This record gives sequence, structure tokens and C-alpha cells, in this order.
Amino acid sequence: MKRRPFSLLAIAIWLAGLASAQAADPVNVYSIWPENYARPMFQEFEKATGIKVNFIRFSSGEALARVIAEKNNPRIDVLFGGPVETFAAGIKEGIFQPYKSPSFDKLPTRFKHADGQWTAIADDPLVFMTNAAFLKGKSLKAPASWDDLLDPAYKNQLQMADARTSGTAVTRIFSVLEVNKRDEEKTFAYLKKLRQNVQLYTKSGGGGTLPVGLGQAGGGIFFIVDALETKAKGYDVVISFPKEGIGSSAEAIALIKGAKNPEGGKKLIDFATSAAMQSKLSEHKVNFVPASPDVKTDPALAEVLKGANIFPIDDEYAGANRKRIVDRWVKEVLGPQ
Amino acid sequence: MATRGLASETRRLLRDPALLGAVAVLWLLLAFFVLYPVAELLVRAFSDEGRFTLEPLLGSLADSHHRAAFVNSLILAGTVGVLGTLLGFLFAMTATRAGLGRRWLTALDAATLLPLVSPPFTISIAIVFSFGPKGFISHDLLGLDDISAYGFWSTALAETLTYFPIAYLTLRPIIAAIDSNLEEMAFSLGGSRWRIFRTVTVPLAVPGFANAFLLLFAASLADFATPLILAGNSFSVLPTQAYLQITGMFDFKGGAVLSLMLLVPAAAVYLLQRYWVGRRVYVTVTGKVGQRSRSRAIAPWAAVLLAVATALVAVAILYFYALLLYASVVVAFGANNSFTWQHYHVIFTEGLPAIRDTLIIALIGMPLGGLYGVLVGYLIARRRFPGRQAMEIVSMINYALPGTIVGIAYLIAFNDPPVALTGGALIIVACYVFRYSPTGIRATVALLQQIDRSLEEASASLGAGSGQTFRRVTLPLIAPAFFAGLGVVFIRSMTAISATIFLVSLSWTLITVRILENMTELALGPAAAFSVFVIVVVFAVVSGLSALLLRLRTPMAGAAARSLLGG
Repeated sequence: MKRRPFSLLAIAIWLAGLASAQAADPVNVYSIWPENYARPMFQEFEKATGIKVNFIRFSSGEALARVIAEKNNPRIDVLFGGPVETFAAGIKEGIFQPYKSPSFDKLPTRFKHADGQWTAIADDPLVFMTNAAFLKGKSLKAPASWDDLLDPAYKNQLQMADARTSGTAVTRIFSVLEVNKRDEEKTFAYLKKLRQNVQLYTKSGGGGTLPVGLGQAGGGIFFIVDALETKAKGYDVVISFPKEGIGSSAEAIALIKGAKNPEGGKKLIDFATSAAMQSKLSEHKVNFVPASPDVKTDPALAEVLKGANIFPIDDEYAGANRKRIVDRWVKEVLGPQ
Repeated sequence: MATRGLASETRRLLRDPALLGAVAVLWLLLAFFVLYPVAELLVRAFSDEGRFTLEPLLGSLADSHHRAAFVNSLILAGTVGVLGTLLGFLFAMTATRAGLGRRWLTALDAATLLPLVSPPFTISIAIVFSFGPKGFISHDLLGLDDISAYGFWSTALAETLTYFPIAYLTLRPIIAAIDSNLEEMAFSLGGSRWRIFRTVTVPLAVPGFANAFLLLFAASLADFATPLILAGNSFSVLPTQAYLQITGMFDFKGGAVLSLMLLVPAAAVYLLQRYWVGRRVYVTVTGKVGQRSRSRAIAPWAAVLLAVATALVAVAILYFYALLLYASVVVAFGANNSFTWQHYHVIFTEGLPAIRDTLIIALIGMPLGGLYGVLVGYLIARRRFPGRQAMEIVSMINYALPGTIVGIAYLIAFNDPPVALTGGALIIVACYVFRYSPTGIRATVALLQQIDRSLEEASASLGAGSGQTFRRVTLPLIAPAFFAGLGVVFIRSMTAISATIFLVSLSWTLITVRILENMTELALGPAAAFSVFVIVVVFAVVSGLSALLLRLRTPMAGAAARSLLGG
């Protein structure tokens, strides 16, 4: 009885030693992509370079809060995946080390920060996703216009993300702004009407996908990668696009300032921004649209996207107005009506 | 007078090297793991480029959303306090007065244990699936369409079901200890049963009610996971708001300030409990809380009614957990309901590092937490030394602060050399020990108040030093509190998430963090399988500890076995 705590402690120390003695110079990463998307990419990187990736997954807000708190003694080398606006917020905190990978020059301007603070690795358009049984029950067609979502048939049936926590939501609101030619009065008039049909604003971008899949909600607005994952899990959902157009947000990667293994980190960025990694997206059924102009979009994904009117969100305009627009959204749309 | 007391206390402290050493070590630990992180936090919240500023605080107070969230938090906590106390009272009456058989009592205890040992989110998720627009209960059974599973009432319901066992565990010994003879006497004097209930039973239980209410109030006030899922859009509460402010708006100052607002009611509740209710609970704990013969003071129909009402609630709880079990053995909950062991395979292969890390951290934290709780409790209750009350209050700080804030404070305080602890296991262990040991401290204090001081004085007058007295006399007497404190640290190490989500690292991760991750991946199956695993392990350990306590045969063991879970 008396000796047990000591032997437990010994085992613990031994296991901790094992964990830290595994490989020479691995790259340490916080991933904002969910593990099931990130893991195969890191395995490909390991195969290609022999460098191991230690990673842990956080939502964009948690990842950023940690990197900022760890600023004086960084624990990671690379922040991987996640919407560009998270990276824009990070630049203000001075947490990134500018780096331009070999693929940098080839990328269109919207897929990179001018100084190389971040580089995009993929693009992620928004979609409307509706539950097939719900549509059938209400004799509706899949929504094909932003105004379709205002139909009273959707009352209390929509789930979408909360702009305070989710990049998905911010992209959605800026999509409505673009559709309304950046007329804020018209945009907020629409958003307030849409609010009548919203059952719940979820904390994470994909938070509403399962409820829609299960029929707890009729539909919502999500990133395509989450919508296709819901479909792949076997839930009967329909994906559609508004004819007025819908926005798309870039997913980025960045080197951390003061990284302990900057060389390994740069190699990972080289890999992630190159055709080498992005051509593997389709193989692993990760439904992001590759950012690299050299990589063809997966045929099945391209089929879904065919004919869809998708536009990029101007990140300069979004960056300059984000806080004001989100604050206004919280005040006028989210609050009790 | 006061200075003379202080002087003599100081003299005594200096003459007693064992006491001096223990006090010094504890203060060092408290300074390092409690005061220093909180100080770092305050500096961040109230400084702007090196200057002191109240602007973030005033800004938050002026914001009507934040004020509404503050009021909402109080309303929710008050409602959960009242409902949970009533439910706990119902269960306690049934357990002590309805004359149930031993087996039924065991089943009742098991049903109330479940919510206490579960990972976060479990009841919330089950409520969404049961009461949503297409929920099993609301739609499939009752045929209701168009109802919302989100808002004030579902949050209150989920929190009540999660926390009422605290009230049950608080009230049961008190009601059991109300001598049935009193009721019997009133009965034979011709009082009606209802009158006895009103004028004898309830008044005697009043301090218990107050205590249970305050415990529930505090638990609800600090809960962020339930509102995160269930509160919906028009009902925001402070802990969730603080979390969103930090992780969503990237506004650390604002989040810190909101948490400090939360600290005010939390501290008020703690002080009320400590100085007002704490002095009014005079029930002697006898440890004889097993089976009781049915009291004559309860009419047979009332006993049946009690039992039926209790059974209904217990069935509701079991239903929620059955749903969880079901989700863990079907391919894709709601879409493909064919049976599979696949999710368990996943958690024991891919999830194995998380399981291993969690168990190691819980097993290291357990004895440390137990020891720390007993030591602090003993010093507070039994020894006179300068700064005793300050030590008691400081030891409660991490317990009273919302988890998100403790996590971030630790992350900031322990990231830079020379105290770079982030990334290791120690920081997680320390967080659990200093956040969840106050239960052990309180259990120790409560136990010691029941043990006559003369035992220790005898030892001292026979020439034993304070260290020897503590080891040879006091320690065996407070062993139950030790196990209670250790048990709570173990349970929380397996189930807590709010603070430690900021402390997990590349080499040390936790099951609860994996559950959250699985839910964001739509991997409901593995999330459910992990939850079932946690419940089974914790259940086994808690049962083992309770059995051990009963074998200790100390009069107080029964009380400690209950405080193991009583929060």
C-alpha cells in the first residue's frame, strides 16, 4: 500500500520520458483544421520529409488565445489551417514570423499576405445545406436564393454560426454585404429578417451540421467542407447555392515568431503551400478547394461546385470593417428581438 | 488583546518547527500556484501599456449585454438552486422515509451518482436530441413540432439534473439525522402528519436547505459548458460570455473583467455559506444512514407518492444515459443505427494516448490533492498561527474562479522561464489539485469539528511534538476526509474541461478535450464511447473508495463517503 504511489510515479516518469525521446527535431503545430483533416496531411509530410509533426487541435479562437499567451516562450513552430481572419487578428499581436515559400509568387493575391505573414493553403466556399426529409415534408425545393431562406416555412428551423466565435459566420455576413453591394442598411435589414427563422446561432462554424443532418434543424449556412463531411457520414442532406452568389474564405498557415524549430516549420509551410500536399486533399476526402493553381479540384467536389456563383471575400475590406460589422450584428441581430 | 494574541501565536509558531515548516511550505505553494497567477491576471486586466486603468471594467459595466448576462447568471443560478434543492429534498425524503428496500436504495444512489461523474456536455446533448424539433420525446413520442430545445428552461433543466445530487447528498444525512423519535413523539401526541411535516421535519432541515441552495447556486454560477450548448441566442450568461470574449473576440482583457464580475456573487455565496449557514448546521453525523424502517410519521400513500415521483426522475436520468450508451454502439447516431464496436476500437487505439495521459495525471493528482486538502484543513481547523484565515480564503480562490480564467491565468503565469511549466503534466496536475482540493479541505474541517480536541491535547501533554501528534493521532482520525479529497480530485481530473483545455499540450492531452474535439468532427460515436469509458472508470474508483471508507469503520466514514461527491 505504501509503495504504490512511488511505483506509479516511476511509471509516469518513464512514460513521460518515452514521449519526449521519440524523434529528433519534430515540428510542433497547433492545427485549426479538425484532426481527421489534419492528420493525413501531416502523415504525408512525414512520408515526404521524414520529419515528425506533433500537433494538437484547437478551435481558431482557442488556438489564437494560446499562441498570444505563449508569445514570450512559443511552444509551437507553425499555426496550421483556419480562416485568414484569425491570422489577421494574430498579425496585430505580432505573433508571426514572415516567410515566403517557393510557391508564394505563384499564388493569387487573395491567397497570401503581402509581407508573407501568412499564406493560404486552401479555399473554402460557403453553401446552403438543408435536410432532405425536411424539404420533402414542407414540399420545398432546395433554397436557391438568399430570399428563399426568409420563407416562413423555415421559421425556427435554421442553424448557423455566431459571428462572435466563428469565421464561418463572419464570411456569411460579408457574403450578404457583397450581395447587397456593400449597402449596410439593406444588409442588416436582411439579416434581421433572417433572424426570425434562426433556431440557434452555434459557437463553431460546423456546430449546426449534425442537428441539420438529424433533422433537429431544417437547414443552415456552412462551409462546404463541413457540409460534405455531413453527407459522407451518411446523413441525408442537400447542398445548394444562392444564385446571387456566396462568399469563400481562404484557409492559411503561418510561421510563429520565436519558433524553436524554424527550419522544420518552414519545410512544413513549403509542403503545405505546394501542389505536393494539396493534390493529396482529394485522395483523403478532405473537401477543401486547393489554393495552388497547379492542383486540380477533386472531380466530385468540382461537380458540386459546378455552376455555383462563388466570390472571394475582399480581405482588406473585411479586415478593416470586421470588428464594426460584428459589433453591429451582435447589437442589432443577435440580441433579443 | 488582538496584538497580544498575535504575538503569542507568532511565538508559538516559532517554537514549533514542524508547524512552522508546514505553514511555510503551504504558503509557498499557495503563493506560487494561486496568488501569482491571479496577480498576473489582474495586471493584464487593469493595465494598459504599463499604466493602471479602470477602463475595461467601466466599459464592461456600461455594456447592456454584459449587464444582462450578469442578471441572467443570477436568475439561472437562483432557479437551479431552488429546483435542485426541491429535487434533492424529494430524493432525500424518499431515501430516508419511504421505507425502500436496500436494492432500491442502491439503484437510487446509482442514478444520482451518474450526473456527478459524467464528462461535461452529456446531459445537454441528450436534451437536444430528446427535445429538439425532431426529438425522440418531443416529436416521436408527443408529436410536437416546432419546439425549441434552447433557452432558459432547458438550461435550467439540464443544470438542475446535473447538480441536484449535490443537494441530495447534503440533505440526506441531515434528514436522516432528524431523530424519527421527534416525529414519532409528535405523532403520538396527536399531531397530523402534514402538521408534523410542516412544524417538525421542515424547520429542522432548514439549515440543510440553505446549504444545498448555496452549493447549487455556486455550481450553476461557474458552469460554462451547459449554457454554451443549451442557452441559445437570447439568454446569455457570464461564464459563457467570458469564454466567448476571450476565444471569439480575441479580447483577453474583456474576458478577464467579466470573470472578475462573476467573482463578486461567487465570493458572496461562499462567505454566506461559511459564516452564516456554516454556523447553523448542528446535526451530529452518526454514520448510520443505511436502511431505515419506514417512519410512521409518513402516510403510506405519501410514501408511495414519494417513491413514484423519485422513480420518475431517476428513470429520466437513466434514459439520458441510455441514449449515450446507445450512441456509442451504433455506426452513425440518427443516420445508420446498426450495431458496432468500432467506436470503442477507435478510443482504445487512436484515443489511447489521451486515456493514458488522463489516467497518469489523475493518479498523480489524487494522493497530492488528498494530502494537501487534509493538511490545509487540519491547520485551519486546529492550529493557531498568524494568517490562518488568510490561508483559508486564499486556498478557495481557484475553486471560486471560473475555469476558463484559471486556465488562462496558469497559461500566462507559467509559460516563461524560470517557471516554464506549460507543455508538461505538472501544470495540469497543479491546476486540478489547487482547484478541486477545497472539497477535501472542507471535509477535513467538518470532520475535525466533530472530534474532541482533548485527544490531541492529551498527546501533546504527553510530550509529543505537533508533527508526531498529527501523524499518530489526528491523521488516522481524518483518514476519511483524505480519501474524500483524493476522490474528488480524481473525479474532476477525469471529467473537468474548462480550465485544462488551455493547459493540454502536444505531449499531454486529456479525454475531455478529445470528447470536445470529436464533437466538432461530428464523430458522435467516439465522443459517446469516451464518455461511457469515463463514467465506468470513475464509477469503479468511487465505488472502491466508498467500500474502503466503510471498512475504515470510523464513525465519520459515512459522512466522508458522501462528501466524496457532495462538492
